[in-house]
Amino acid sequence: MAELTQERSAPRGPGFVRRLVASQETGLVIVVTLLTITLIALAGSHLDRRTGLEVNNFWNPNTLVQTLTDASFFAIMAIGATMVIISGGIDLSVGSIYALAGVTMALVLRAMGPMGAGATAVVGIVVCVGIGLLCGLINGILVVGLRVHPFIITLGSMWVLRGIAFVISKAESILVPPSLTNVAKAPLGLGGGLYPVPMLVMIVLTVIGAIYLTRTVMGRHIFAFGGNLEASRFAGLSLGLIQIGVFAVSGLTAGISAFLGASFYGSASSGDAQGYELYVIASAVVGGASLIGGKGSAVGAMLGALLIVLIRQSIRTLHFDQNYEWIVIGCAIIIAVVIDQWSTRMAARRLTKAAESARAAA
Amino acid sequence: MIARRGRWSSVVLSALCFAALACSGGGESKTAATGDSAKAGAGGAGKAIKIAMIAKSSDNPVFLAARTGAEAAAKELSAKSGTTVEVEWLTPAKEDGEVQAQRVRQAVNEGVDAILISCSDAGKVTGAINDAVDRGVTVMTFDSDAPQSKRFAFYGVDDAKAGQQTMAELAKLLDGKGNVAILAGNQNAPNLQKRVQGAKTEAAKYPGIKIVGVFNHIETPQDASAEVIRVNNAYPEITGWAFIGGWPLFATSLLSELNPAKQKVASVDAIPVELPYIEKGVVPVLLAQSVYLWGDVGVRTIFDKIHDNKSPANPVMPMELVRVSKANLGDWARQLKSWGFTDVDPKYLALPAASGAPATAAPAAGQ
Repeated sequence: MAELTQERSAPRGPGFVRRLVASQETGLVIVVTLLTITLIALAGSHLDRRTGLEVNNFWNPNTLVQTLTDASFFAIMAIGATMVIISGGIDLSVGSIYALAGVTMALVLRAMGPMGAGATAVVGIVVCVGIGLLCGLINGILVVGLRVHPFIITLGSMWVLRGIAFVISKAESILVPPSLTNVAKAPLGLGGGLYPVPMLVMIVLTVIGAIYLTRTVMGRHIFAFGGNLEASRFAGLSLGLIQIGVFAVSGLTAGISAFLGASFYGSASSGDAQGYELYVIASAVVGGASLIGGKGSAVGAMLGALLIVLIRQSIRTLHFDQNYEWIVIGCAIIIAVVIDQWSTRMAARRLTKAAESARAAA
Repeated sequence: MIARRGRWSSVVLSALCFAALACSGGGESKTAATGDSAKAGAGGAGKAIKIAMIAKSSDNPVFLAARTGAEAAAKELSAKSGTTVEVEWLTPAKEDGEVQAQRVRQAVNEGVDAILISCSDAGKVTGAINDAVDRGVTVMTFDSDAPQSKRFAFYGVDDAKAGQQTMAELAKLLDGKGNVAILAGNQNAPNLQKRVQGAKTEAAKYPGIKIVGVFNHIETPQDASAEVIRVNNAYPEITGWAFIGGWPLFATSLLSELNPAKQKVASVDAIPVELPYIEKGVVPVLLAQSVYLWGDVGVRTIFDKIHDNKSPANPVMPMELVRVSKANLGDWARQLKSWGFTDVDPKYLALPAASGAPATAAPAAGQ
């Protein structure tokens, strides 16, 4: 399995630095950090009209939190989608699940009328997460039950779910209660127009995702399933349950993201998150997930989403033509994957050499 | 084990990075501004006024015309007043209310003085507009409003009225009877929904007119043209089309697909590429939005607000549609040329003037 390959090919030697170098995500952290430093250096500055002080156009709390907030909606979905990708599948329906969950929540809350802030938040999150989970389960059951490739099933459900969102919302953009927006935009004592809730949820879910993938039996089963299907079958793993489980988690994270997105922006419509599935998959791939399965991580997915949003932000901050955004992101994805494949090949070569030397010594 | 420990190290490192990024107070510099790089805050004469312009999408020619208008007005105002007026184009490549909200926040964080925005989804951008206003940024909307927001002004057509006018023109062409289809663009755009409603309301006044259907599509010339052709094949009984946006006429394919002897068409919008449709009688009447003025009037109104603290008497500044037909085709072509459109066919520029010039005067800020 790729995990084992990684473990064997890790540079030998003690210490924190060695362990960091061995980590797949370290490269991404370095790239994100370099890009951040570049942006700080080249961003220029402006006068803050509230304080009268000069602030860097990038290195200021509002831009940093806003960048992380923009990344959080993709990143949360990317954590779930990464699990599908690790299992060797793909989920094209996350954007549509996002739209359907958001629209359903807005409609339910409108139908229920005014409630207390707590009750509104609870109903909202239950509906969004419930719809997301349900859609994910349906995707998983269809993939397993019909034995059709996940690409086809989720391509179909992508259209079906967005169509349902369109029909039930009558193409209307439905406002969510202000109390819900107050939850997603709670300043948590920061003030000054800083809204850290989506960013914090992203970090918490990344940690949970990382624990799930690396510290639980279910998580290890996903790697086993995606890394070597036949071996997993002979090992007696419940392959169907694993596959349904990853799609359920993907739907769940899309539901959570929809709750945050609709609450943060204040409305939900059937047109929401159109094309986001590609950003989500790109985040996972840039984060090191392999589309043939067996490789990926929650931290990588989050960092991949952050890197993509940072690239978008840098086009803006450095005053490049906005129309080049897609070209730059496309090139970044290709470069990231090529570098990842190159490093994997190099690691395999080192492993072979090490094995040959060991054999010769014996 | 090494890889596993490495992964946890990465989690820790990432968390530390984020904590550092978000909580370091990142960046509010300790020194007061000096030098040329620091941009002025809102207001003050003699300093720069930076306006972020956020239209719905970069691939719609009407918004490119609005951008031309905004940049021309900024240049003229800069020369006249001695205050540099800059327009920064932050329009998303495709329509997306969430991306627009993100662009509003980005613009505010980078210290713009004002934002001029056409809202793809009012519900999505209202919060961002209100945050911007709370942070001292002047916000004006054009084309598609966010009426519940704290924007100080809106400039655009009354959408319900535009829909009504389009249907009224079509009814005139059909002598009050026929099977009519409405081409309606993006189903999620509130301004288009109002136009559709206006068209339906007007159609109800004509007992002989039956609405066959309302047809939505992606707002590109190709998708819109394909939708018209598809619908015509599926509903051969259609005798009239009300295009509440001019999308299919931004390409030439319908010049040969539509038969003026069988079908009458009335449409909103009249940019240069649409003029052959009038000339050949395929679309006898276009109701032009003076799209250039979205930018021109927007920038001037914002300048008045920031520079002279002058607001329009009515925050909703209505734009009248201009009826363009064969009678005033030359005048309209010359008007488009004067607005900076470079693709106006010279043969239309050479046409004689009509008796009455098109009414395209911009409303004064005090209107």
